[in-house]
Amino acid sequence: MKHLKLSIFLLASLSGFAQNPAPAGPQVRAIALTGATIHVGNGQVITNGVILFDKGIITAVGDGNTPTNGAEVISVAGKHVYPGLISPAATVGLQEFASVRATLDYQETGALNPNVRALIAYNTDSEVIPTIRNNGLLMTQAVPDGGVIAGSSSVMHTDGWNWEDAVLKADDGLWLNWPGYFARSFDFDTFAVSLKKNEQQQDGINALTATFSDARAYADLKNPAPKNLKLEAMKGLFDGSKCLYIRASYGKDIIEAIKFARQMGVRKPVIVGAEDAGRVVDFLKENNVPVILGAMHRLPTLQDEDVYLPYKLPGLLQKAGVLVSLSYDGEWWRTRNLPFQAGTAAGFSGIDKEEALKMITSNTARIMGIDNVVGTLEKGKHATLVVSKGDLLDMRTNVIEHAFIQGRHLNLDDKHKRLYHMYREKYGQPDLGK
Amino acid sequence: MRKLFLTGMLAWGFAQIGWSQVTFPRNGVYDERPGLYAFTNATIVVDPKTTLEGATLLIRNGRIEAVGKTVSIPAGAVVADLKGQRIYPALVDIDSDYGMPAIQRNAPGGGRGTPQYDSNKKGAFNWNQAIQPETDAGTVFKANVAQANELRKLGFGAVVTHQHDGIARGNSALVTLADDRENNVLIRDRVSAHYSFSKGTSTQTYPNSPMGAVALLRQTYYDADWYKKAGKTVEANASLDAFNQLQTLPAVFEAPDKLGVLRADKIGEEFGIQYIIKSAGDEYQRLEEVKATGASLIVPLNFPQAFDVEDAWDADNVTLAEMKHWEMAPANPAMLAKAGVPFALTTASLRNKTDFWANLRKAIEHGLTEQQALTALTTTPAQLLKIDNEVGSLKPGLLANFIITSDNLFSADNVILENWIRGKQYVYADKNAADWRGTYNLTIGDRSNLKLTITGKPGKPDYQIQADTVKITPKVSLNNDLISLQVQLDKKQPGTTRLSGYRTDGATWKGEGELPDGKIVKWSAVSSQPFSLTAKADTAKKTAPQLGKILYPFVGMGNLEKPKAQTLLIRNATVWTNEKDGVLPGADVLVQNGKVAQVGKNLAVPAGAQVIDGTGKHLTNGIIDEHSHIALYSINEAGQSSTAEVRMSDVINSEDINIYRQLAGGVTTSQLLHGSANSIGGQSAIVKLKWGEAPQEMLVKGADGFIKFALGENVKQANWGDAVRIRFPQTRMGVEQLYFDHFIRAREYDNARKTYNGLSTKEKAKTAPPRRDIELDALAEILNKKRFITCHSYVQSEINMLMKVADSLGFKVNTFTHILEGYKVADKMAKHGVGGSTFSDWWAYKMEVKDAIPYNAALMARAGVTVSINSDDAEMARRLNQEAAKAVEYGGMSEEDAWKMVTLNPAKLLHLDSRLGSIRAGKDADLVLWNNNPLAIYARPEKTIIEGTVYFDAQDEDRKRDELQKERARLIQKMLTAKTGGASTQRPTFRRQRMWHCEDVEGVMAEGEQRAGQEK
Repeated sequence: MKHLKLSIFLLASLSGFAQNPAPAGPQVRAIALTGATIHVGNGQVITNGVILFDKGIITAVGDGNTPTNGAEVISVAGKHVYPGLISPAATVGLQEFASVRATLDYQETGALNPNVRALIAYNTDSEVIPTIRNNGLLMTQAVPDGGVIAGSSSVMHTDGWNWEDAVLKADDGLWLNWPGYFARSFDFDTFAVSLKKNEQQQDGINALTATFSDARAYADLKNPAPKNLKLEAMKGLFDGSKCLYIRASYGKDIIEAIKFARQMGVRKPVIVGAEDAGRVVDFLKENNVPVILGAMHRLPTLQDEDVYLPYKLPGLLQKAGVLVSLSYDGEWWRTRNLPFQAGTAAGFSGIDKEEALKMITSNTARIMGIDNVVGTLEKGKHATLVVSKGDLLDMRTNVIEHAFIQGRHLNLDDKHKRLYHMYREKYGQPDLGK
Repeated sequence: MRKLFLTGMLAWGFAQIGWSQVTFPRNGVYDERPGLYAFTNATIVVDPKTTLEGATLLIRNGRIEAVGKTVSIPAGAVVADLKGQRIYPALVDIDSDYGMPAIQRNAPGGGRGTPQYDSNKKGAFNWNQAIQPETDAGTVFKANVAQANELRKLGFGAVVTHQHDGIARGNSALVTLADDRENNVLIRDRVSAHYSFSKGTSTQTYPNSPMGAVALLRQTYYDADWYKKAGKTVEANASLDAFNQLQTLPAVFEAPDKLGVLRADKIGEEFGIQYIIKSAGDEYQRLEEVKATGASLIVPLNFPQAFDVEDAWDADNVTLAEMKHWEMAPANPAMLAKAGVPFALTTASLRNKTDFWANLRKAIEHGLTEQQALTALTTTPAQLLKIDNEVGSLKPGLLANFIITSDNLFSADNVILENWIRGKQYVYADKNAADWRGTYNLTIGDRSNLKLTITGKPGKPDYQIQADTVKITPKVSLNNDLISLQVQLDKKQPGTTRLSGYRTDGATWKGEGELPDGKIVKWSAVSSQPFSLTAKADTAKKTAPQLGKILYPFVGMGNLEKPKAQTLLIRNATVWTNEKDGVLPGADVLVQNGKVAQVGKNLAVPAGAQVIDGTGKHLTNGIIDEHSHIALYSINEAGQSSTAEVRMSDVINSEDINIYRQLAGGVTTSQLLHGSANSIGGQSAIVKLKWGEAPQEMLVKGADGFIKFALGENVKQANWGDAVRIRFPQTRMGVEQLYFDHFIRAREYDNARKTYNGLSTKEKAKTAPPRRDIELDALAEILNKKRFITCHSYVQSEINMLMKVADSLGFKVNTFTHILEGYKVADKMAKHGVGGSTFSDWWAYKMEVKDAIPYNAALMARAGVTVSINSDDAEMARRLNQEAAKAVEYGGMSEEDAWKMVTLNPAKLLHLDSRLGSIRAGKDADLVLWNNNPLAIYARPEKTIIEGTVYFDAQDEDRKRDELQKERARLIQKMLTAKTGGASTQRPTFRRQRMWHCEDVEGVMAEGEQRAGQEK
């Protein structure tokens, strides 16, 4: 019987119908990871440290003398322990193959869709998901795009039987595409893109002002009749239970968007993308507005710009005191390179690695309002963490050996590894790398 | 109604006084006149080198009969005394579209509909609509009163006009700008042949790229030659016939920019033709190379407007290059003249023809001499197109095309009084008019405390009335000696006083008028002070404006001088040799004459060497990107399934900022590939990223030829939308057959040519030569192992297929690029001997990459395949060191082997490993000094060196950037001043750098922009 099961499994994987590995079951006994360099995620590093967790919660973090209290000890000497990385502004779980429309679920039709929820479209069976957690990403924000108000995002784990299972924070915020100062036009014949002053910008802002004013007034109603799904979905913006993630790039847009949010009584605005944030550092700081940068793996926006500006921007903001997080705005499979963006930020913008690590852990958790449970390795927080062979931010050593989500010990198999081993074995090659 | 009719009749009647057509019947009586005119006492500029004072010009029957100081005036001549006035030859424009049929352009984006693979031009013409050598300007020309008048007013008397449409545009015609029947206006047809890179209104799919346009033109030259020798018995082709007839005429090529000038000249070289090149006004940016072409130019005066840079942030959208061009464009003609490049000037490309004189004067302010300007508008254009026996000077026998001016033609105060065309007078200002300028005491009824002042140019006066201290501008119209004047004299009592009157013999005006209240009054204006010429500086004497410096290339981070090779000694670095020595700690590398001279320890410092301390640093080879699309104007010629004839070397853009950005990522060599839109793409160009050099200098000399092939979804147009389902092949089944078909044809072609070439001269004379086909040439080169395939590929089935096709035809595929399923057939690849150039970790962006895995590079490498890691885009290319490091992460390659995947291995795939890819004495000194292990995420280049020349220096970055900022600031201040001074400005338009990928097809595909990072 056992044989039969195994052969069915093998057959399935060989014939290309492999599924993702089963999600891990709940933590059944206390676990202690010992001997590792622990990167807490708040700047602190503990060498030869011990981290202890039970029932999914971290019970102790300390140096080598921390008692393990009879927990199952997993020695990870010489390895590095990091908080599970958090990937904001992603479409992981919402898209599988970019060119196949049937697999795309991140963009609804229409301009104002505050009520649509990425949460329920998050496909835990996406084969992209295991590949990103293999680089340390244990949380991904499922984010809608398109229109003006694209919908609401949720913070998801990268392991789970279904979206209900996988969710860490449901409906954490709404996504607004700010009507830009520049309008973009594309010439098919010459393939040239040009930006001109957007003559419709004020109309767009006026329309948004009307919608937000209505939503704010609606939020005061005890029993609104008729019920309005769109305005209902916007309620949380005014009591601080939801963030307003605003995609804006140009400095003027960033200022206007934040002023707008303040004026409308939005409690937690966040700027996303922010290619031009370097110009409005003071404004961001004065208004205490955090920034989720879009892909650093981009070219400079302007021809005459510093060649390394995209790499330097995170450090520039962080050093100025702006709360900054890194993302691959709107992307999916590529988000597995998120730790290397942090590495690049450390290499090019004069900040140390632990500061860079914050941008993909604790800073992101603070922005999303989940820092009470994740983002750092501290007592009382979720045991959502990874063990890497070496420096997680460097490609050569980003080799995840263990990953835990709320203490659940994940199966790190993924489609890429399966195909690797299948062909490695075909050619009789050694099992090297992660 | 009757009056209107009468007016019409009058105008028509006068128009008839010109040249009567001998063959035409006449309605009415004959009115032939002698047409004998003498212009005396004039300053006559016979040609730019000859000016006669107090001379006489005698014309008869529309031709010049005599010019000189001692011309005797025959009886019956109408004599005009031009004392104080000047006569110049009328100007000539040889790049005109005057009188040509309007060009109907398609709406932008028109190319996105159903593709059109065949010409829709009916008749026995060329297969391609963009080849229109049959266009006969003399036949399609229609005189146009308004257009002619516009040019006459500027001083032009004749133009050479052609239809600006298509790649081969047919011939041109010399026409005068007279208002007359075409029979009298057309002086000579078939003056010159015209070509361009633009397909114009052609709706045919091919070509959709500049390199396709070049290839089409090349093939047309060969086709025409074949047609002449053998083709007429096979097919009738009016286009090729016409094309052959064009070959005796001067050939003019319209280039879109400075690099287009070089490109056009290169085509000419191939066919032994020296084109005259219509340039775009930016030649000064590559003056040396433009001069070296030996081409004469036709240069426009289309100087850019200043940008609106008042908003400090918005102004960042204007590039330094755009600002510098604004400043320097007016100096272009002067710089060309100084460099000795022969050129004619043209009104073509001007936003408004009325800008002509202002811009020409600007060019003169910037150093063009008046003589050079006149030459470029008279004798040079006439000589270039061999029409100097008709126009361009005032020599006897030439057309009586001349202008009468009030002053030096180039003086700001000059007025063109009359323009005579073929002996017919066109009056623009009264040459006999008295100079009315001056101050007058004005009396209107009982108001006498008024002063009227007339200033401005003769013929273009400005008026002002002073009432007490109030200055008022009246409305005035003068018609010969009649005047009509309206003025609002009193602001407190609104109302207009209207005066009509005439000039008396003296300098007095008088007449009657009506006050606002209806009272009729008498008025007069009596001269109190004649106009005095207050010292007005001659424009030519102004000092030329101060300009910034040229940059190589003409981009913000360009160099003030092209960088030069140095002798360099890099000391005590960790040297990644890529040789059997491996990684050498604490080693020295000596670079001399562009080569690695020595690798070792404690090397002696040769005289003049610059020593670079490498302590704590890593020295490696420059990165080689096997698959790049930077520095190109275009990527895909997608008009056909096979475009083996196109060459990427035709469209290299040496001014692409991405070259510099790649240097800042340690890249030194890139293979610039055609895209993947078709099964057989174009020939690639292998370049070194020599920032500042022109395209030809960037090419790696002596490199083997490569060609791009492609498989899968792109070539079968799977993601191109429903309209695009016509082109064969639409399936992977069809792709195989397409290859077989093309290669078998190429073999037959090659055999036929070899047979023909083997014939004796005698036999050859009797045998029709096979038609030269540049597409099959390229494919035959593959069969003969002289050209090598880099094939875009994803899925194992098709990879295997192409290897089998190649095996059966007896050649090898050189490289599979992308090759994301290479790991599934790595053993077969190793056996075939093909290399793999792959992405490190890309997948999921389309269906055919669903099985792509980041272990691909390691799996292929361990199976014995030469593996490189490539970028495909400008962004990834600047961190290929990080991409290589992923081979350590996925699959556990050693660091040295991973590093070779972006250096030595691509050099092998490009057959350049004897020169590039490792650090060994004798190899090219293409080196990068890193601050760290080059595979570390923290690594950044400190110096990037190509052939001993430092092209990127991190230490120098800040200084360069400071200079850039200062230059920007200087130009912004200058623009602000220009705007305050009344110059027209334009809003900044933010032109985003295009980042090309395999799939980008102009006119069709755009997703590449929106999802630039994803759609490979």
